[in-house]
Amino acid sequence: MSTINFAAREINCKIVYYGPGMSGKTTNLKHVFSKVPTHLRGEMVSLATEDERTLFFDFLPLDLGSVQGFKTRFHLYTVPGQVFYNASRKLILRGVDGIVFVADSAPNRLRANAESMRNLRENLAEHGIDVRDVPIVLQVNKRDVDGALPTEMIRAVIDPRRELTLFEATAHNGGGVFETLKSVSRLVLDRLAQNK
Amino acid sequence: MIEPSLALYGDAFDRVDQHLEELLTATGVRYCLLVDRKGFVLSHKEALWAPRPPALDSVATLVASNAAATAALANMLGERTFSEQIHQGENGTLYVESVGDSALLTLIFDGSVPLGRVKVHTKKSIAQVAAILEGLKDAPPVQFSEDFSKGATALLDDLLG
Repeated sequence: MSTINFAAREINCKIVYYGPGMSGKTTNLKHVFSKVPTHLRGEMVSLATEDERTLFFDFLPLDLGSVQGFKTRFHLYTVPGQVFYNASRKLILRGVDGIVFVADSAPNRLRANAESMRNLRENLAEHGIDVRDVPIVLQVNKRDVDGALPTEMIRAVIDPRRELTLFEATAHNGGGVFETLKSVSRLVLDRLAQNK
Repeated sequence: MIEPSLALYGDAFDRVDQHLEELLTATGVRYCLLVDRKGFVLSHKEALWAPRPPALDSVATLVASNAAATAALANMLGERTFSEQIHQGENGTLYVESVGDSALLTLIFDGSVPLGRVKVHTKKSIAQVAAILEGLKDAPPVQFSEDFSKGATALLDDLLG
């Protein structure tokens, strides 16, 4: 559950963008950063390697405004997608309130998508939580790449039971970015209201 | 829920606030923050003479992430945890110490403040703050009304279209 500071009248929620390397997680955050009014967002922190691959995480605080007198704030994180950074991914999932799984539509990335979702399940399980206990939204990104795989084929390996809300996206030009964020934010806030 | 949430309010908040204020005065540090393990600022104090603080959201996030990474390292080396972190630069120092399992006390100060003095006073404050946070675990769960969801959805529509 989100961190609630009654005295400061603040509610803080943590949303993590998860997915395979190069699927567009950081691009999602960069788009949000570039489009949200400056007074509603904080600094974007990127801990990246020299070639701009995420090393530890990217971080962007986002103010929603006041709900019933509580200043409500989302902290958006990405994880490093590369397989060998699993220790970092596990740490960043700590305290997560909602997840956006960013899948890659490129034809050679089907297996990477499946392995990343399996990795997410395993890392959540290590924190003692079932994947169904956290609000998750599926974003199928890079719909404009040559030979993009059919969305339903990608969903079949990530979400065979069709439990997740799915958004198609082209994050590099902002397509689907806000729709995805809005959907996961709503799920997180609904949970908060239900006191789960 | 992966991590226990902290709902800091009422008398508990006031008492934590008071301890941070006393710590600030006793040590002469610039900034003093209580951060939860998820990286959210629970309370903060700054000296009257201190320059404009850095982005506290970012500081808290990086401190909590660093603490989590340090804890993972400790486990790999057979330790339960490393309870404190010290980062010393040319002009300033960042000192972080665990407050039980739920929070981190973070102090930022310049070269004129002796580290030893900071450590002594911080350890005293931690014992007091930890006891307060421990008491919060018995607090009743937070309840929001149906209107909360409606209000939040309206704000989401405004912000994200």
